[in-house]
Amino acid sequence: MLSGRCQPKGHGPAKVIGTWLLISVLVCAFPGAIKAQRVSGGLQALYTFTEGKGNLISDRSGVGRPLNLAIEKPATVKWQSGSLLIRSSTRIASTGPATKLINSIRKSRAVTLEAWIRPANTRQDGPARIVTISANPNVRDITFGQDAGLYNVRLRSTATSTNGEPSTSTRPGTATVALTHVVYTRDPGGTARIFLNGKPAAAKRISGDLGNWDARFRLLLANEGSGDRPWLGSFHLVALYSRALSPREVQQNHRAGAAASNRPPAELAMQQRQQFFETRIAPLLARHCLDCHDTVAAKGGLDLSHKATTFKGGKSGKVIVPGKAAESRIWKRVAANEMPKKTKPLSNTDKKLIETWINDGATWSGDLIDPAVYANRTRGIWIQRLTVAEYIETVRSDTGIDIADEARKLLPPDIRADGFSNTAYNLGVDLKHIEAYSRLAEMIVAKLDVLKFAARFSRSRKLSTDATMRQLVESMGKWLFRGPLEEREVTNYSGIATTVASTGGDFKEAVGFILEAMLQSPRFIYRIEMQRGDGSSWPVNDFELASRLSYIIWGAPPDQQLMKAAQASQLGSAKRIAIEAARMLKDPRAIRQSERFISEWLDLDRLANLKPDPDRFEEFDPELARDMRRETLAFFNELAWKRKRPLSELLNAQFTYATPKLARHYGLKPRGPGLERYDLSGVASRGGLLTQGSTLTIGGDDASMVTRGLFVLNDFLRGQVKDPPPGVDTTPVPLRSGLSHRRVSEQRLANVACAGCHKRFEPIAFALEKFDGVGRFREVDEHGNRVREDGMIQMPGTSRPIAYKTSAELMNLLAGSDRVRATMTWKLAQFAVGRPLGAADAASVRSIHQAAWKAGGSWSDLVTALVTSDLVMMTRTQSDTQTTTGQGTEKQPAP
Amino acid sequence: MSDPRISRRTMLRGAGTATVGFPLLEEMISRPAQAAAAAEPPVRAFNIFFGLGVPAPLQTEGFSGVLEPLKPLSDKLLIMRNVDQVRCDEKGINAHYDGATGAFTAQPPDGEAKAGGGSIEQMVRRGLYPKGLPSGMVPTLIGGTFFRRSRVGRYVHSFNPDGTVAATMQEKPRDLFERVFGTITVAGAGTDARRQRLKRSILDSVVEDYRFYTGKQSPLGARSRSRVADHLDRIREFEQRAFALKHKKKNGPSLPRRSIIPHGGPADPGGQGIDITLEELSTEWRLMADLYALAIQTDRVRFGSLTFLAAGERIRLKGEYRFGGKKMWDFDDAGQQRAGGDQGCSHEWWHKFNEKRKNEALRAHAHMKMREVAYFLARLDDSESRDVNGRTILDNAMITISTESGDGRHNDVKRELSGVFHAITGANRRFKTGQIMDVGAEGLDVYNTMLAGMGVSQRLGPTNRPMQPVDKIRA
Repeated sequence: MLSGRCQPKGHGPAKVIGTWLLISVLVCAFPGAIKAQRVSGGLQALYTFTEGKGNLISDRSGVGRPLNLAIEKPATVKWQSGSLLIRSSTRIASTGPATKLINSIRKSRAVTLEAWIRPANTRQDGPARIVTISANPNVRDITFGQDAGLYNVRLRSTATSTNGEPSTSTRPGTATVALTHVVYTRDPGGTARIFLNGKPAAAKRISGDLGNWDARFRLLLANEGSGDRPWLGSFHLVALYSRALSPREVQQNHRAGAAASNRPPAELAMQQRQQFFETRIAPLLARHCLDCHDTVAAKGGLDLSHKATTFKGGKSGKVIVPGKAAESRIWKRVAANEMPKKTKPLSNTDKKLIETWINDGATWSGDLIDPAVYANRTRGIWIQRLTVAEYIETVRSDTGIDIADEARKLLPPDIRADGFSNTAYNLGVDLKHIEAYSRLAEMIVAKLDVLKFAARFSRSRKLSTDATMRQLVESMGKWLFRGPLEEREVTNYSGIATTVASTGGDFKEAVGFILEAMLQSPRFIYRIEMQRGDGSSWPVNDFELASRLSYIIWGAPPDQQLMKAAQASQLGSAKRIAIEAARMLKDPRAIRQSERFISEWLDLDRLANLKPDPDRFEEFDPELARDMRRETLAFFNELAWKRKRPLSELLNAQFTYATPKLARHYGLKPRGPGLERYDLSGVASRGGLLTQGSTLTIGGDDASMVTRGLFVLNDFLRGQVKDPPPGVDTTPVPLRSGLSHRRVSEQRLANVACAGCHKRFEPIAFALEKFDGVGRFREVDEHGNRVREDGMIQMPGTSRPIAYKTSAELMNLLAGSDRVRATMTWKLAQFAVGRPLGAADAASVRSIHQAAWKAGGSWSDLVTALVTSDLVMMTRTQSDTQTTTGQGTEKQPAP
Repeated sequence: MSDPRISRRTMLRGAGTATVGFPLLEEMISRPAQAAAAAEPPVRAFNIFFGLGVPAPLQTEGFSGVLEPLKPLSDKLLIMRNVDQVRCDEKGINAHYDGATGAFTAQPPDGEAKAGGGSIEQMVRRGLYPKGLPSGMVPTLIGGTFFRRSRVGRYVHSFNPDGTVAATMQEKPRDLFERVFGTITVAGAGTDARRQRLKRSILDSVVEDYRFYTGKQSPLGARSRSRVADHLDRIREFEQRAFALKHKKKNGPSLPRRSIIPHGGPADPGGQGIDITLEELSTEWRLMADLYALAIQTDRVRFGSLTFLAAGERIRLKGEYRFGGKKMWDFDDAGQQRAGGDQGCSHEWWHKFNEKRKNEALRAHAHMKMREVAYFLARLDDSESRDVNGRTILDNAMITISTESGDGRHNDVKRELSGVFHAITGANRRFKTGQIMDVGAEGLDVYNTMLAGMGVSQRLGPTNRPMQPVDKIRA
């Protein structure tokens, strides 16, 4: 019987091969690297008070037209090292309206006002204006002031007075003469917070919209426009953002300190050059050069995939002279259209990029260019619609109603794209969806005990059109929409109650109709997140994060505990998220979600349509295909959930599950009537996913080595190969006596035109030749040829193939390969975020991979590392200047 | 098993049995609903795609070769030779898919389920109907009969400008019928006026919410806003059908019969292909073609695409093929190739094409495809397709007919994606017809010339690439 550990077969313990270096380089302007720095996403204006002299204070944000400030009475201020002391009453004001601030904040409906200040005393009041965008003492957009021993912020919205009342204040005694970091944030949902020295000091709900902000107002420091609310003290830093910084980001800015400003120019320049390489040069080399000049091909002795080999050069010597494109062989050959060979020359734009890169010093970040990172060129951010499975789980979790049968019948199936059916760009809607959502909403409400459901959110059973009904809508909506409602939403859905009341309906009927509407709303059908910003990465807010966690781990909405944590802003730390993840992974929904992943990764749904040629495979029927699917899922469940083993053991674990029919198909003696566990430690031929019928059938009736090899290369090794080159007949060669699959393949590999690509994947499939098209084991093929199982495997990015003698040896090599583990991480990450990953994600995925496999590499380890990563905790925003059509380009950094 | 031809007239008469659930609107079928009042026919644009292609050498034979079935329509078509899609070749991606996605977009694909940009007929739709189509109309209709599904671009040929599919594929004739002519039963609304009002109130609230996410205050990025806007459009269509169109014809036509041939997942068992007879195939296709044509004739649809067999199609066809009273060929792909599974599929004939040989099986397949394409086109040229200007829909609409490859051997990109068969209609005298023309241009320039001819200012392809007009195709 099998012991606690999966014992690999073959020659000794699995050898660890490959390294993660393959994904090494590619970091876009992504978060991990900027934590020691001030937060820059959403920044609109920044004043560092480092001028040292004069009457002008420069806006150093680098965003839009600078909103510089002029000191009205220079004699009343004193420049100090990194600060400006206001000794007596003056006004410091922008020369014109604060248009860029006001417009961006109106659009985002969120704001952060940050200041490092040292008040001169704790008596000044009014409040004394520290920072304000206002017209006079009674009309404003926002004002941050000191009122004796406390700080006060007045923010105008459609729900406040023009004076910004009610305002938000810290407790008395919190304003002192010490240097203090004060941050006010207000998010689009209306939650306002004040932080002092990085810690929460006040919170209040300021509802309404910011659309009524007056674009004519100026930005002022140290006084009101009218000049009668002076503030005295010193300014060290003032910043305004068009979004609400998260508590974590507030702490980050606090840690950065009062003197923190922009990064040193040299560091910034280096970062820009690295980014230029990562986003422009590396993809260009991957696309146009690595076919011939990677580690495997290395034509002319030149390997352009590694930094070291690139700068070492090829047989003809060095190819790059940093700083001198004209002396660089690579540039000269590209410029002369001599490279790339046998294909169209590079465009003038691409040539210019290479020339610029070399002349700027040929900066190369990381070590290796992995073409797989650049394989996906899908751009843009698509909203995530709930998949059919997510819709079913969401309804079940939110209402307790099982709508699975009806939903599967009415909703169009989600189509698989880029390997998964939850790929956001492909989750469109058609008329049938609309009709289905409408009908399902009515079915759900019909099945629901509406009064009991409503009682979870409100004690009232009165059909009113007043605050009581609004409170119910707000509370019920928050649960169904997975976050707080805005005023307009409360008004909108409460309006249904008004209509019901006007037609003589009752409370139950009104709640039923409101529920029906909510179940069709965009916030129920889609996972809506803030996507607009400045093009950089921002943290997702607590409710968005709660949804990400629950849909990643469960494929279902947040539960009450997660919602409570989001409400209390407790999801800002990776530590807390890890605690939540550990709790959530104990829920059966986590198992179901993992099964969805494995099914989609291996395309197990394909088995339902499998129809091998009945003349050749008489015993094959749909039941056997179903058994194959059940085998793989049961195998995965034992390894991932019962035994919590590293997922790499999926490749070589020495057990499986089979029905009697499948057992006979495999040549095993049936052990019982149902799906039984089989120890395979004594079965040399089988062990691991790739020896199961569910994956062996991928090769088709003829057990194609090409298809099987490509499957392993693409889905387990993230390898890339191009189309067959011109001049090669790709018609499959019929087998016959004396001509086995292996022989045909060897002939192909002996052909120079084919070998360049085929040697990357076909020898992997040699190990599977002893399995026929439906996964039966054989020693002799249909034509009487003896089949073999020895071969070679070349891990992507490495130069030396590794020989194996048996299928089991290959499985051990794969199980021990970091490239395989990295691919699993990559696949799971793609499934989690619902989009193909690219260069901008590589650094985050690398961190996830390292953390997950350091922790043990189990399903739980992978999921925990994933949900605590920047990939999940941050989101890429899109600026309004970025192109909106599919034909445009994303914002790209300049060299 | 062939079905009686479905036409506007037979629809109007009713096919006999009264049906519940698909009451056809009298105004839908008695006249083109929107177009009748206009002095000019409406602008319409459709893409017709057929799988595997016509190898460029066979195109030189004119109507004496595989293009013979198009001959009766030759006055209404401009057949273009030497149209290239070479920019669509992508390393590492199957060339069937490259060519198929490039047909009508002229751009390389962008992912498994996305094109590299909009398709020509969607560009026309957005350019000439910037505020949307008249209410109640199906904005885009995508239909097809096909058996290869691994990538969406193989069988869908109508794409939004961001490259996503423009509408859901209707692959069963029944589904297409329901999409175009079905009315919607609002669950629980019944005929009770009060409940109708309440149901409408729900929809109003939902619409209001969706509108917010498409507006200036939306937290969503451009692509997401566009997706939500699509959703909103579908709700409005739903609303129109559910509440506005209430006049039902009691003795409506029968719902088309259920498909006998496989659809969905079973239609593509892991790329191994399916067995199908010519009769099964053409019966299914012709029902689809009839319904699609009817949707156009009744002015329920002005834009979309129709697919007859997907790119890299995998079928093992059997049956006698006759044309013009003459036996052309006995289809028996598996038997003639002495292979089962994928290697016994018609697809293999394209890989075996050799211009020095007879290529009889390939010729028969290509000829049959032209016959079926011609069947659909002829439906738009019959007496029931007469527009207000006295010409037929085939004369007035902009119809593009193309395929995936110019060769199919997967052994030379230039041969494979150069000389891809193209034919277009005159689009109400905007383009020449009645010729076989050696165009010698990129698909991108042909399509952009057509967009210019249609009066659309937007162009396909990279913005920094100067357009090279192909003026010789313009009338």
